Amino acid sequence: MTSGVTGFLKRAAREPLVHFLTIGAALFVLNGLINGPDQGPESDTIIISEGRVRQIAESFVLLSGRPPSREELQALVDDFVSEEVGYREAVAMGLDADDTIVRRRMRQKIEFVIEDGAASESPTDAQLQARLDANPDIYRQPERRALRQVLLSADKRGAAARVDAEAALAQLRDGADPAKLGDGSMLPAALPLTTQDGVSAMFGAEFASAAFAHAAAQNDRDWFGPIASPFGQHVLLVIDISPGRAVALPEVVDRLRADWIEAQRNAARDAFHARMRERFKIEIEWPEPWKSLPQTPDPNPKTRPTPEVGE
Amino acid sequence: MKRLVLAVCAAALLTACGEQGEAPTSGVEQQDAAARSAPNPLNNAYFGDLHLHTRNSFDAYIFNVRASPDEAYAYAKGGTIKHATGFDMKLNSGPLDFLAVTDHSEYLGVLPAIDTPGDPYASVPYAKDLFSKDPKQVNTAFRKFGDAVRTGQRMPEFADLRTVKSAWHDIIESANRNYEPGKFTTLIGYEFTSAPEGRNLHRNVIFSGATAPELPYTALESQNPEDLWNWMEQQRAAGMESLSITHNGNGSDGTMYERTKWNGAPVDRAWAELRARNEPLAEITQVKGTSETHPLLSPNDEFAGFEIMEWYIGSTTPITKFDGGYVRKALKDGMEFQARLGANPYKFGFVGASDTHNGAGSYEEDNYHSKVGIQDASPERRGSAPPEGKDWTTYKPVDNTARFSTWGASGLTGVWAPENTREAIYAALQRKETFATSGPRIRVRFFAGYGIGASPLTSDEGVKSAYANGVAMGADLVGKADGSPDFLVMAMRDAHSAPLQRLQIVKGWVDAAGKAQEKVFDVGCSDGGTINPATHRCADNGATVDVKTCAYSQDKGDAEISAVWKDPEFDPKLNALYYVRVLENPTCRWSTWDAIRLGIEPNPALQKTIQERAYTSPIWFIPVKAS
Repeated sequence: MTSGVTGFLKRAAREPLVHFLTIGAALFVLNGLINGPDQGPESDTIIISEGRVRQIAESFVLLSGRPPSREELQALVDDFVSEEVGYREAVAMGLDADDTIVRRRMRQKIEFVIEDGAASESPTDAQLQARLDANPDIYRQPERRALRQVLLSADKRGAAARVDAEAALAQLRDGADPAKLGDGSMLPAALPLTTQDGVSAMFGAEFASAAFAHAAAQNDRDWFGPIASPFGQHVLLVIDISPGRAVALPEVVDRLRADWIEAQRNAARDAFHARMRERFKIEIEWPEPWKSLPQTPDPNPKTRPTPEVGE
Repeated sequence: MKRLVLAVCAAALLTACGEQGEAPTSGVEQQDAAARSAPNPLNNAYFGDLHLHTRNSFDAYIFNVRASPDEAYAYAKGGTIKHATGFDMKLNSGPLDFLAVTDHSEYLGVLPAIDTPGDPYASVPYAKDLFSKDPKQVNTAFRKFGDAVRTGQRMPEFADLRTVKSAWHDIIESANRNYEPGKFTTLIGYEFTSAPEGRNLHRNVIFSGATAPELPYTALESQNPEDLWNWMEQQRAAGMESLSITHNGNGSDGTMYERTKWNGAPVDRAWAELRARNEPLAEITQVKGTSETHPLLSPNDEFAGFEIMEWYIGSTTPITKFDGGYVRKALKDGMEFQARLGANPYKFGFVGASDTHNGAGSYEEDNYHSKVGIQDASPERRGSAPPEGKDWTTYKPVDNTARFSTWGASGLTGVWAPENTREAIYAALQRKETFATSGPRIRVRFFAGYGIGASPLTSDEGVKSAYANGVAMGADLVGKADGSPDFLVMAMRDAHSAPLQRLQIVKGWVDAAGKAQEKVFDVGCSDGGTINPATHRCADNGATVDVKTCAYSQDKGDAEISAVWKDPEFDPKLNALYYVRVLENPTCRWSTWDAIRLGIEPNPALQKTIQERAYTSPIWFIPVKAS
């Protein structure tokens, strides 16, 4: 017996619950001694069915690639009997209540059952439409703009890029050909309809917000700028705007269905927990250091051993 | 509408977009049609990740990662998902253009099944230990899987492949569900996890279409990559096209690019052709370091010591053999084979990837969450902070911390393709018109050809001429009897990272004695710098980083650099290859960012700054046969 187990027994010996169980068990044993072992209801009979024995034999086949001999099977069945007896007694004594793994598995099982029930329903179009109506911003098509830009490169012109951009702006407003102005670059001279995020990914945030803040184009000479980017100074023309708009159900039906099922699962789980919690009064005795603090994620979470393969 | 549409008009759309402007369309259908622009014949740069794990990978699940393939795609599209330890992960520099989820095919989906009450696998005797709170129990139980993958022996309790089949089916379905042609491309793939004696021979297998074989071919069928290639050939004959990408080779202890076959026999022509046909690409950088070259293999390349990782995969065993683990040497060996056998097994292009096991790539130094879930989630775990109450003077890293500290925020694959569709992206991978970056979205073009030097790549006309009259990265340039080819290079910075410092061309060639050589030439300098003709180096541009704040020089470096170059040592009779390396100005390494956020000194054993970079696939010069 390890010292850990000894320590556990010592601590257990001081627990009132253990006193109660020990006395109960003693009475049970005493009763057995007085009235004989065969006494008792039918539910105490453990029947190992033919199907169960076959299953045990099949797992042996899986592991070793051959059927078990009679002796081997006998040993496996005996072990199963011990497991079953031990399990029943352990549950009867309430030993499952303090086992983290058992508790976690039971919680997983019940959540699985609850969520599965919720997810097995299929949403109607009306339910999906209601979800869309309730969350227009999530499914909205963002505004997109098509642009043309002329770059005055900071690499080539340095600080003069700004003045040169002002000059280019004046020329473009007078109808100059944009293809003949500015510096060669890998940046596209024209963009098709693009979201602000998309513009920002290539030109940076400052350029993108300027391009989207500008009032709608009046005509093909409505050039504006200069706008700075990590590449230099730009002169811009908005050539088309596709306003942000709400979407129709058919456009997002797949995404809505997936989101609806997910929401149903979450709602079913939360409702279950709320219902269960109503049956209990929950008191948490916060230790001193955490009494007034909101809960924060563990900055240095529990370690796990490194497997020697993978990554 | 993300970066794709952005890039769509590089040239052709100059007119197309103009027309749109003059005659604005209206109505939903027309607007959406306009969003899917015509393909760009001059190609756009798209960025993606071809190596990523989710909860389906046996190791990721043990690292507490629960992200699904759907969540991985959501993250790549710019969304926010949870890290294994609960914090939010989101890309700072915008969504990616494409992604392949490549879970380990061995025991695919098996760990989640063991952890699912009611699943038949939940009854394996060590199920409880696998998810125990006691690290010793977890380690003992998990070692069964590690050993089984290392030895290639399938654990008999998982002989029934229904779970693998169903997880594989879900991965395929998720890829197809998340594919948005013209906007975001998903590729079906998996990681073939061969690691004999722990030496990493992993491969990522990528399928071209919307379907894939019923089951992946795994290292539990055979650890020999030849068997994988033969299986791919069979699948191809049956109409299922795929390609294989070698995993970052630095953890292979010299076995990824060997000079012998699996059985120890010398490489022969049939083997070389089989390999080249099935493995057109090599991963050159990812979180677990870079595999371009090692300082011991390239002693004259002062930029070779970049994010070097010298350990076995998932182990603290040190690497002792670098030859055979790095791509530059392999490319040179390949040319020697070409001369001897008439076939080159190592004629590959480059890709970059994360290999993240978090379902979410960590590409940005200032937004780093490494890659193995709970194991390297905190600065202390990854060696950028000392344990609480300790300082660096007495610091000794424990367990895997030293190893994690040499990992980095990397990398991405860039492809040049006419549009963002499976067909276009796969074709670009197949023809090796690819480049790799250490994380930033540096764009780089590279062409070679005779007489193309008069039209630099600074204009669309130049790019058009280069495609028409030269060859792009990944291709062969067939020599002419006389004259020397022009090399055109142009690179553009990532608006969210530092300016560029220099363009380099790395040359490998086989000398008259049949021996492979290498040399690095600077070909373009920032800030108007000039190249010293004796050293072939740009003058130092003087860019600096303040490691107290991570602020870097604002007035140094260029947004774009272009170059037209001729090889000063060109010999038309010799086989050669050329690839481009683009260097950024120095910036803070992730470990320095971690330290600044914690208000502590950075780990003195680690580099405080790095020079992010991009590498193009090579162009091979094939001399004209003397007649």
